[in-house]
Amino acid sequence: MQDLIELLISATAGGCIYALFALSYLVVLRPTGVINFAVGDWGTVAAFGGFLALSEAALPWPIGMAFVIIAAFGLGWLTERIAVRPLVERGAPVLAPILALLGMLVIFREAVSVAFGPDPRPIPQPFGYGRIEFGLLAASYQSIFIIGITASVFVGAWYFFERTLAGRSFEAVALDRRAAALMGINLRRVTSFAFGAGASIAALAALLLTPNTSAHYLMGIPLAIQGFTALVIGGVGRTEGALVGGIILALAEQLTMRYVPIAPGLVQGVPLLLLIIFLLVRPTGLLAARGASA
Amino acid sequence: MLNRALTAATLVASLALACAAPLATAQSQTPIRIGIITDRVGPAKPYAEPVTLGAVFAAREINAKGGVLGRPIELQIEDDQGRPDISATMARKLVDAGAVMIVSLSLSTATQQAQTVSLETKTPHFTPSNSGDTLTTQIANPWFWQSGPLGSAQVATLLSYARARNLKRVALITETSALGQMTARSFREALQRNQIEIVAEEVVPGGATTAEPQMQKIRAANPEALFMAGVVTPENVLMLRAYRQLGLKMPILASYNMSVPVYSSVAKGLLDGIAFVDAFDPARPEAKRFSEAFRKDSGTEPYNLHGYGYDGIYLVADAIRRAGSTDKDKIREAMQATRGFVGVMGAQGSTYGFADGRRTGFDTNGMVVRVYEQDQQGRVVHTGSR
Amino acid sequence: MKSLLQAALVIAILSAIGFLLGPYHTDIYRKLLLWIALALSYNFLFGVAGQVAFSHFTFYGVGAYAIVILVTQAGLPLPLAATAGIVLCVLLALAVAIPATRLDGFYLALATLALAQLFIVFLNEGGELTGGSGGLTSYRLPDVGGITLSGPRYTVVIVLLVTFTWILLARIDQSWFGRACRAVRDNPQAAAAMGIDVARTRVIAYALTSALAGLAGMVYAFVDNTVSPPIFGLENAFLLLFMVIIGGSGSQIGSVIGATVLYLLPFVLSPLIGHHHALVFGVVMLLVILAQPRGLTGLWAARPWRSR
Repeated sequence: MQDLIELLISATAGGCIYALFALSYLVVLRPTGVINFAVGDWGTVAAFGGFLALSEAALPWPIGMAFVIIAAFGLGWLTERIAVRPLVERGAPVLAPILALLGMLVIFREAVSVAFGPDPRPIPQPFGYGRIEFGLLAASYQSIFIIGITASVFVGAWYFFERTLAGRSFEAVALDRRAAALMGINLRRVTSFAFGAGASIAALAALLLTPNTSAHYLMGIPLAIQGFTALVIGGVGRTEGALVGGIILALAEQLTMRYVPIAPGLVQGVPLLLLIIFLLVRPTGLLAARGASA
Repeated sequence: MLNRALTAATLVASLALACAAPLATAQSQTPIRIGIITDRVGPAKPYAEPVTLGAVFAAREINAKGGVLGRPIELQIEDDQGRPDISATMARKLVDAGAVMIVSLSLSTATQQAQTVSLETKTPHFTPSNSGDTLTTQIANPWFWQSGPLGSAQVATLLSYARARNLKRVALITETSALGQMTARSFREALQRNQIEIVAEEVVPGGATTAEPQMQKIRAANPEALFMAGVVTPENVLMLRAYRQLGLKMPILASYNMSVPVYSSVAKGLLDGIAFVDAFDPARPEAKRFSEAFRKDSGTEPYNLHGYGYDGIYLVADAIRRAGSTDKDKIREAMQATRGFVGVMGAQGSTYGFADGRRTGFDTNGMVVRVYEQDQQGRVVHTGSR
Repeated sequence: MKSLLQAALVIAILSAIGFLLGPYHTDIYRKLLLWIALALSYNFLFGVAGQVAFSHFTFYGVGAYAIVILVTQAGLPLPLAATAGIVLCVLLALAVAIPATRLDGFYLALATLALAQLFIVFLNEGGELTGGSGGLTSYRLPDVGGITLSGPRYTVVIVLLVTFTWILLARIDQSWFGRACRAVRDNPQAAAAMGIDVARTRVIAYALTSALAGLAGMVYAFVDNTVSPPIFGLENAFLLLFMVIIGGSGSQIGSVIGATVLYLLPFVLSPLIGHHHALVFGVVMLLVILAQPRGLTGLWAARPWRSR
C-alpha cells in the first residue's frame, strides 16, 4: 500500500512537469494561436543555464533559479521577436510561425551542443535525497517540492487569466485579434509577454526535472511531445486543463509500468495506445472550455 | 504537367551532379588513407567523440614515428549523424576515396548497416568500440572485425566477480536504446545459462522522467543483486536515483557504460559501492604511458573511451605493417592473423587477437571489475571471467 | 502520346545518371530519389489534402518490413509479396484513417505521432519476426524474370517508382478528386454543402498516400539490404515535413526541390563546417521560412524580373 501512495506522489510530481510544459504551450497558444514545439528546447537552454548558475557558479538554489527564470523570459521574448513577429505582421499563414519555431528548436539544441559539448551536465539537488516516511505516506522531498511549486504556479496562472484585467486581455486576443486591437489592447505587448512567460514556465519545469535526469542536449523533443500530449488530454480551453492532463498522463504511464503484467518493452506502448483511444473518444480534452473555445 | 516533371528531373540531375565532388583524382601515392565513420551530431556523440580523439592522437603519434611502411597515415573522418542509412553512404564515400580500412565509431546499428557496404566492396572494416554481440554474427562478413568489449564478455566478468556470492535470484534493468537492448539480451542469456533466476526485468523508456515504478517492482521482487545493462546516461541516472530514493540496498553490477567519467559529475552521491566492468586498468603500464602522452599532447585527461580509439588505430597500423602492402586482401589476412597484440586497454597482461577464425578480438578475460568509492572510480578488484 | 514520350524521356535521363555515377554518389542519388518519392506523396497528404500526419514513415517502414518478411520468412514469390505488402498498407491506413476522420488539425497530428512511436515499439519488441532492435539483414532481392536487379539496374527501379508516383499524383491532383481534397482542406463545411463526402475524401487521400509510402518502403528495403527501427523513426517524419514546407506545400515541383535541398544540405555543409552543420541547417530553415512563408516555390513565383 505504501508502494502505491509513494508511486502516486511520484507520478503526480512527474505529471506536474508535464503540466508545466503544457501550460507553457497554453500561455503562448491562447493569444497567438501558435503552437510552439520549441518549449522542450527552451527547457534545454534553461537546464544548461541552471548548470552554469547552480553547478558552475554554485549560487544558492533560489538565487540561481530566479536568475535562470528571468533569463528565460528574455529568451522567450527574443524567440518571438525573431521567429514569430515578422511572420505574423506580414499576415503569413498560421502554419508559418509554427515551422519557424521548429527551426528555432533545432537552433537551440545545436547551439547548446556546440557550446557545452555532448556530455550531460549535472544540476545539483535542492533537497538532496531526503524523503519523508510517515505511516503509509512516503515521498521524496524533491517530489513534494515539485508539486508545491507547480500548484503555486497554476494558482497564479489561474488567477491571472480569470481575475486580472491583463489576463482577460489574453482571452480577448484569443477570441478575436482584430476586435481586441480595436479595443485598445496592445497586441505586440501581449504576444511578447506570452512568449516570455511561456519560456519562464518551461525553464522552471526544466529546473525541477533535471536534478533527477541531468541536463543533456537531446532532452527537448521528448518533453515537447509529452507536454503537448498533456495539453490535448486536458483540453486547451481552461488553464486547469494543463494540470489535469499532465497528471493523468503521468499516472497512466507510471501505474501501467508498475502494475500491468506485460513484457517490459511493451509497457511503453500502453500510454501511446491510451492516447490514441482517448483522442478518438474525446478529442477536445477532458475539460470543456468555458464559453467559446480557443 | 510533364514539362514540370522534365524541369524537376533536370533540376535533380544537375544538383546531384553538382554535389558529385570530384573524386580523389591524382591521389598522391604517399599517405595511407584510413576512413573513420563517427557521430558528430546524433545520440552516439558523447561516446564517439572521445573515441575519435583517441584515434586522431594515435595517428599523430604513428606519423611522428615515421608512419606505416614508410608512409604517413591519413585519417578521413566522416559524420554519419548517428543514422544507419547515412553510415552506409559514408562507407561508400570512404571506399570511393581509396580508404584501405573503414573504422566505425558510431552506433552499433550504424556499424551494422555500414557492413553491407564493406561486404559488397570487400573492404576491411573494423570497430574498436562497439560492444553489440550480434555485429559479427548477424551478417557473415569476413571483412569485419570488432575489438570492443562484448556484452557477453562484460556479463561473464561480472558473474565471475560475483561467484563467491552464489547468486540465485537477480533483477535486470535497461533502457530502450538498441545497444541497451542488445546488452540486456547478452546479460539475460548469460544469467540463464548460469541457472540464475531473473526475478524482475525492467525497462526505462527514453525520455522518462522517473524510474520509480520500475524500481518499486524490483524492490517488490526482492532480488539478491541488480544488473544494470543500460547505456544511456539520463536513464541510468534515473535508475540510480530511484534506487536511492526507494532505499534499495542490494549490490549493483553494471555494464561498461558506468565506467564513463560523466557519472562522477551527474550522479554524485549515487555511485558508492557500484561494481562495474571496465576495459581500462589505470595501473597497467601501457595505459599509464598513454595517459601521460595524451595529457601532454592535448592538455586534457583521457579516459577509457579515448583508449579504444587509440588501440583501434594502432591495431590497424599493425595489420597494415604485417600485410606489407595496402592491398585489401593482404590487409584482411593480416588482420585476421592478429595475435597477442598489446594495447592500452584491458586488464594487465591481456591482449587482442582474432584466433580460430573469430572476428571478435577483445580478450574475454581482459575486462576488470572496479568499484565506485564515494563518487570516484576505485581500484580494480577483479580480473577476467574465469 | 506526347506525355508518354515525355515520361519515357524523364525516366531515361534519370536512369542514365544512375549508370554514370560512382558507387558513393549512386548511393546518395538513390536515397535522394526515395526521399523525393516520399515527399511527393506526403505533399499530397499535407499540402493538397491538408492533413497533418506524422505516420508517413510508419507506412514506409510497414512496406519495407512487410516485403522482407514475406519474401524471406513466408517464402512468397516477389510479385505476390509486393501485392500483399500494398494490401497490408492499405488495410492499415484504412484502420487508422476511418476512425481518424473525426479528428482534424493537430489532433490528427498527435494521433499519428503516437502511432509512429507505437510502430517503433512494435519493431523493437517483435522478436524473431522483426529482428528486434537490430533489424533484419542478410537478404537480397530475388531475380525478376531471370534478371538480377542490382547496381545501376536497381536505380532504374527507383526511378520508375518516383516517376510513377509523380504522374499518378499529378493526375489525381488535377482531377475532381484533387479539387475535392483542396475544398475539404480549405473549408470542410462548404465542401460538404457542395455535396462532397468529407470523410470519404479524407480516408481515400490518407489511404492512397500511405500506400504510396509503403510502396516506396518496399523499394527501399533492397537498397542497403537492411531494415532496422532507427531508419523509420520520428525524426525522419519531421524532416519530411520540413522538406515539403520549404519546397512549398501543395506544389509537386516544390516537394522535389525541398527534398533535394534538405537531403543534400548536410552532405554539402559537413566538409565545409565540420560538425556545426546541424546548427546551420536550423538557421537556413528559419531564414527560408522568414523570407518566404510559401517556401522556395513562393520565392520563385515572386521573382521580380517576371513579366507578369
